Amino acid sequence: MLLFRSEEHVDRWCRQWSRPRGAVFRLEQQWGLAKAWYADRLQFDWRRKTEDEVQRIFQDLGLTSSFWDL
Amino acid sequence: MSDFDARVRFHVYDHFVDCGEAPSQAEVAAALDTSPEAISESFERLAEGKALVLQPESREVLMAEPFSAIPTAYVVRSKSRSWWGNCIWDALGIPAAIGDDAEVLTSCADCGEAMTVKIEGGRLAVGEGVVHFSVPVRDWWPDVAFT
Repeated sequence: MLLFRSEEHVDRWCRQWSRPRGAVFRLEQQWGLAKAWYADRLQFDWRRKTEDEVQRIFQDLGLTSSFWDL
Repeated sequence: MSDFDARVRFHVYDHFVDCGEAPSQAEVAAALDTSPEAISESFERLAEGKALVLQPESREVLMAEPFSAIPTAYVVRSKSRSWWGNCIWDALGIPAAIGDDAEVLTSCADCGEAMTVKIEGGRLAVGEGVVHFSVPVRDWWPDVAFT
């Protein structure tokens, strides 16, 4: 999960390193993902999320392409 | 997760938040008034359960996501404290986890231009750019090191 200045920079990086272009999304969505994923991490009774919970997080953030399917 | 392992995990995170670095097995053992062997075994169980990521040889903590025990390209600062995030997801996960304002100091993965992201009042206050995931979720979820 890398941060780039723009999609042009993503494309250039993919070409340079011969990596497939995966999912590109807004920093605001990444902040939403970080909150959903980590807000409970410091709690004593934290547990790993289930697949259903993870899929729901992606859907709520509009990350609905097949790239995000578990 | 047993109550003992939960206490170990909790102490590791508490130490990361307060000190900006991972505690050693010996430090956790001293803090919890138990043996280093008991902590070593607990670390292995927590790693097996994807609650910690350990270094390959020393078996000390490498990651307690979103925190990294080793320097990365994602520096996170909040007030007088600082940490390393494992990636942009984790870097933003630190203010999410501690529930406080923070800034992420990093650079564009392509060109190296400096980039700053600021979280203030629970919102993305400063930050431009896009995030790229190269690997589909189905390919990293089973072995994910950061969940």
